[in-house]
Amino acid sequence: MTVTETRPTAAGGSPPPNPAQRLTALPAKIAKSPLLARVLFPVFLFLVWELSLIAVEEIWPFAVDVLPTPSEVGAFMWDEFITDTLARKNLYETFFISLRRLMSGFAIAMVLGTAMGLAMGLSRATNAFCHDWTMAILAMPALAWALFNSIIFGFDDRGPILTVILAGIPFVIVNVREGVRNTPRELFDMARSFQVPQSKVIRHVLVPSLMPFMFAAARYCFSIGWKGLVIAEVFGGQDGAGWTIKFWYDAHRAHGVVGYAAFFVIFAILFERLVFEPISRRAFRWRPQLQTEVVEEAFGEHHEHYGEEETARR
Amino acid sequence: MTTTDTTTVETPSAPRVTEEELARRARRSELTSRWFWRILSYIAVLAIWEFALLDIFSFLRGSPLDPKLLPGPSEVVSTFFEIWGEGTMPAAFQATLTRIAVGFGLSFLIGAMIGILMQSKWFEGFFKDAVLISLSAPGLIWVLITAIIFGNRPLGPTIAIILTTFALVTVNVSEGIKALPKDLLDMAKSFRVSVFKRNRQIVIPHLAPYLFTGLRFGFSIAWKVTVLTEVFSSSEGIGFEMRISAVLFDMSEFLTWILAFFFFALFLEKVVLEAIERRYFRWRQAVTAT
Repeated sequence: MTVTETRPTAAGGSPPPNPAQRLTALPAKIAKSPLLARVLFPVFLFLVWELSLIAVEEIWPFAVDVLPTPSEVGAFMWDEFITDTLARKNLYETFFISLRRLMSGFAIAMVLGTAMGLAMGLSRATNAFCHDWTMAILAMPALAWALFNSIIFGFDDRGPILTVILAGIPFVIVNVREGVRNTPRELFDMARSFQVPQSKVIRHVLVPSLMPFMFAAARYCFSIGWKGLVIAEVFGGQDGAGWTIKFWYDAHRAHGVVGYAAFFVIFAILFERLVFEPISRRAFRWRPQLQTEVVEEAFGEHHEHYGEEETARR
Repeated sequence: MTTTDTTTVETPSAPRVTEEELARRARRSELTSRWFWRILSYIAVLAIWEFALLDIFSFLRGSPLDPKLLPGPSEVVSTFFEIWGEGTMPAAFQATLTRIAVGFGLSFLIGAMIGILMQSKWFEGFFKDAVLISLSAPGLIWVLITAIIFGNRPLGPTIAIILTTFALVTVNVSEGIKALPKDLLDMAKSFRVSVFKRNRQIVIPHLAPYLFTGLRFGFSIAWKVTVLTEVFSSSEGIGFEMRISAVLFDMSEFLTWILAFFFFALFLEKVVLEAIERRYFRWRQAVTAT
């Protein structure tokens, strides 16, 4: 708004720089560019890591061999990458197992959660019935589900999958319910007065206006489900990503733990970049404004999801 | 309470008194029905937990479960009083709460500082990936890394809490900064108000509600991570007790510990923090309402 107004005047006001000036200005421009800063961040991390290793060796009474060095971690990650591993299953198998569990839990949570969210958005009684329990499940730590399910189900797929469902479903319910509440009321009224059948109303009015909320729901459900899944696999799994990082932890290989943690981060970011961003770009192409909103929502995690809608509704 | 737009009064021609009366009656019946369903839900869930949950889990599991594995609410309550009588609970609560206070306090400061630094494009680029990683990575990895490096030292959990929660504060702060009154800042700049003064007089008051939101969301994550760190690298606190009772397959103790702390944290989160927020930002809500 104000920014877009000021920018052209600022650009027009300064005289066009001649090539020589531009050349001398180049280093300063590079130094100021956010991209450089972004590249500098890993460098900075690396330096802090190395320096703290030196500091620890000099000052602190740590057993130094416990601390992983960057080269160790790099070597470990490379070995894992080329599937040369000491763990029972290699990197790809491990993540595939976890992904399978995550996907089954995610699918069930999305279906059940959408159904419940719709019911809660459409009927006041259902909302009153389920609201408190949804909030309770939302606030429950995944650790509790993980330990509980590991005790109930032992070491198989059902415990982790149930953990994913329980961790993810409240986000779906809350988002879908908000979506239903935010549907354009006048369109419903019009549909009713023109006696459009219910099924058609749902398909042409409810679903399109629900899409952004569904998408946000999927995103939360996925990321929270993933966080819950790895904890569940630590306590009640015999394989999978969570189990494998615990394997390195139990073996007391710090470089293994750090390396695997890096894989976790890479996995999450890859998924975000390769799956959710393209889908969001495709699904909301017709609605440029909304797309930016949804992308920001991914950052404002849990933003309007902890009973926030109650204050908003007031 | 959650006031939904129930009062859709469609009698503009009717006299005024009946209109109000109608609205009041509609609101009352809405309220009673809401409470009816709400209380019914509590009864239903507790009844299912007490009598039928075991069968449901047995069905899911495909084989019958030992009834001892799933104690009902009555047993959990009696275990709670048993543990309370032993006197270990306040100490565990204290240990966990101290850890949360130290870790999340630091995390809040760091997160807010980074959020303010991210006003500049350069620092935004610098911290972008850190925030992204902190938001998307499971807290478990920080817990395990710090546990393996620091062992049982208190520094480990603190760092784990900071790494998992700072980004929530940062995101809220930078969201607040995005919504800053640009015209005010521009004016301050053109009148050459110093950076420090600008931050103190315009930015901070405007950011306070966002900081508070960050505090609330951050806390809700922080206590979960704290419990998780205690499972791995601690010999006291709620997480430790949970771990012990899970290892001993003592489900009633396990449920008691987690539920006790769950209710306590929920109380802090929903009642205390929300009450404070409502109190201090009443003026702001009034502004946004108009």
